[in-house]
Amino acid sequence: MAGTTVNDHQGDALAGLKVLDLSWVVAGPLIGRTLADFGAQVVRVESSVRVETARLMQPFHGGVQDKEGSALFGNCNAGKLGLTLDLKSAEGQQVVRDLVAWADVVVESFSPGQLARWGLDYDTLRADKPDLVMLSTSIAGQDGPWSTLAGFGNVGSSLSGFQHLTGYADRLPMGTFGPYTDYVGPRLALVTLLAALEHRRRTGEGAYIDVAQVEAGIFFLSPQVAHFGYDGTVAERHGNRDEQLAPHGVFPCRSEDGADRFVAVAVRDVAEWRALARAMSRPDLADRADLETAEGRRAAADELETAVADWTAGRRAEDVERVLQGAGVPAHLAVTSDDYPADAQLAHRHHLVELPHPRHGTTWVEGPRYQLSGTPGRPRAAAPALGQHNHEVLSRILGYDADRIAVLTEGETLR
Amino acid sequence: MLEHLRILDLTDERGLLCGRLLADLGADVVQVEPAGGSTARQAPPLPGTSPTTSMFWETYAAGKRGVAFDLDRPEEVAVLRRLAGAADVVVTSWPRALLEPHGLDPAALCAERPELVCTVISAFGWDGPKAAYADTDLVVWAAGGPLAPHRDGDLPPLRISVPQAYLHAAADAAAGTMLAVLARGTSGRGQVVDVSAQEAVGVATLARVLATAVGDDHPEWQTTPGQRTGRTDQSGSGAATPNSLKKWHCADGMVELHLSMGPAAGGFTNNLFAWLAEEGAVPERVAAWDWKVLPERLVSGELTHDDLDEARAAVRAFLLRKTKAEVLDAAIRRRLLCMAIFDMEDIAGSPHLEERGFWGQVDIGDHDVRIPGRIARVRGPEGPRVRGRAPLLGEHTDVVLKEWLGQP
Repeated sequence: MAGTTVNDHQGDALAGLKVLDLSWVVAGPLIGRTLADFGAQVVRVESSVRVETARLMQPFHGGVQDKEGSALFGNCNAGKLGLTLDLKSAEGQQVVRDLVAWADVVVESFSPGQLARWGLDYDTLRADKPDLVMLSTSIAGQDGPWSTLAGFGNVGSSLSGFQHLTGYADRLPMGTFGPYTDYVGPRLALVTLLAALEHRRRTGEGAYIDVAQVEAGIFFLSPQVAHFGYDGTVAERHGNRDEQLAPHGVFPCRSEDGADRFVAVAVRDVAEWRALARAMSRPDLADRADLETAEGRRAAADELETAVADWTAGRRAEDVERVLQGAGVPAHLAVTSDDYPADAQLAHRHHLVELPHPRHGTTWVEGPRYQLSGTPGRPRAAAPALGQHNHEVLSRILGYDADRIAVLTEGETLR
Repeated sequence: MLEHLRILDLTDERGLLCGRLLADLGADVVQVEPAGGSTARQAPPLPGTSPTTSMFWETYAAGKRGVAFDLDRPEEVAVLRRLAGAADVVVTSWPRALLEPHGLDPAALCAERPELVCTVISAFGWDGPKAAYADTDLVVWAAGGPLAPHRDGDLPPLRISVPQAYLHAAADAAAGTMLAVLARGTSGRGQVVDVSAQEAVGVATLARVLATAVGDDHPEWQTTPGQRTGRTDQSGSGAATPNSLKKWHCADGMVELHLSMGPAAGGFTNNLFAWLAEEGAVPERVAAWDWKVLPERLVSGELTHDDLDEARAAVRAFLLRKTKAEVLDAAIRRRLLCMAIFDMEDIAGSPHLEERGFWGQVDIGDHDVRIPGRIARVRGPEGPRVRGRAPLLGEHTDVVLKEWLGQP
């Protein structure tokens, strides 16, 4: 990587940080996942009765639907300690209060107002712990007319404009692949949370952070928002075409083992355009004066896309990628689940990480998306099974004695 | 929260957003441009103005200060390196082939100043077999996983119609930078943060990139109970339900609605059918279903997919009589997983975003334009907000040299 010769390892960036994770599904848990990767101790509370949604979602180990087999859940929660708790009970709520007393950071994603009904909201908690850093993530934020909106990230992608902006111009809006704002929200949440920790380190002051997935999504469309404000232009979907670059698209290649294969090709300037045309053995196109400018190529987009598709149709996607990249033209095969573990670049960076798993032998998760030369992150363990660390959390972290743990167990609080 | 940090920002359109986030959080972010101006000033959307005005630049360079240097003049590059020596953080997405000849690559900068955090954003990472690949946003989207599985019928896979891949990478870069800043608070030492956009977008597949690795050879989305695999989309998100079953026409546009079933999310669909039943829009037999237990009833054969079609037809006819506003209102009051599909005009008119103080006002040319101004709301310390408009080319060169280098 870029700086391995510069620094030797310094330990963990977040060594000593203690995090209580009360969030579920994707947008909240991804925040704690990164904190755990970089050395924080993260205790995740969930219910074994109302099983959290991510445990019900594919992909599954061996293709078998099972609440201990979801790779999505595994990816969002690797390295955390798992505690099952009945949050509706007074006893369960007391355990949470004790965990808050232990923690530096609380992350939660309940419907706005729910924690207040349990007496576990920020205003109540900070009375005993003024330097608490707490982050709430929700669809539309903790207040305002939409705050009571129920929903998952696909509701977020509708309200933030992404549904409208994905699809072919002459077809139904296709929407994004999955709940798109779940992928955006945690990134903006994380940087804000880390800034709050830096502020606390320097001043001792805590913070409460309210992240709305809808707002995070709209932030990723800031240029389109500004365009509307500037001259009233409403951005529209246009398949895989680009506002500026042409040709720009995704093209069918030769199928392999019965599976459709595709390659993405984009051209940024006339040099790349000529290189593409020559690679396709189309000197007639390379030499055409009207195709020297992006404007001219956009005007001929239908013709050029047909020419590229004709050329890619009989070729293997990875061959197209290799030939075009060899000629300096941006191209890449559309990577599938089958391709992902074999990708040479991802393998070079050890991006997929194999972890021991008590039920499945081993499991796989995505590694951190940034390599830190001095304090590298890595997932420390597979995501917890339901209740896997109940005893460890109650005994070692909270110092409960055996009698107290027995009372909680018999009272069905730990479920 | 980050008022104590000086960030030297050597990004182009690939990394422009990173510095915007850090500036919103309070840092002093100085955007460096070549004498001819950043290529991000040419990034779409581009209203047909002369000279060119990039909405991408104007939003994601907002709140930064701007300096410009002629990179062909060694004495100007030397000043740029002195600025790096006065910075807490250097963040760059300039190509490696541009950085190294000028001694601006991470290894060179960190060797000169061990406490520097140097963040580098690229398509595939700083080195490796594809590090020198020609790249665009679409190419990264293809290489990182989110493109291939997103199909509309038999047509080729679809991207989102505007660039997104590098935004994910740039936001990750801001978080990676902050991790290194926090580490420096303990160790006193800097480090290199190497961000790969290819890796950044893997999360946007909802773990689909892991399917083969964990031995799931059919993680396709189009599975409903009682069919083929027998697996059930009980997620509530509709992630495993085909598009045509989730898009519905309403009186003035379209709505997104997933008829969720199963214990976690079936209750939302019960709420929807309660609304239909109140207005006499559904046969009593269908209105009486409990969608929480529907998967079991479908698997047992007690209900069939023809029954499901009857329920969908009732919903379809009902929604055609409702407006986007009515659907949104009902979704809130009745707790429905049902949502209006908004465009930029709908977003601009949202009373909710107005009430939340989401907007910032910046000058773009001679226009006063509203842009997203808060990535989060914070109580306690001063939270993130857009700090001002994007800089003109070289607008702050003199004052930055004075403040950072003590030059008169």
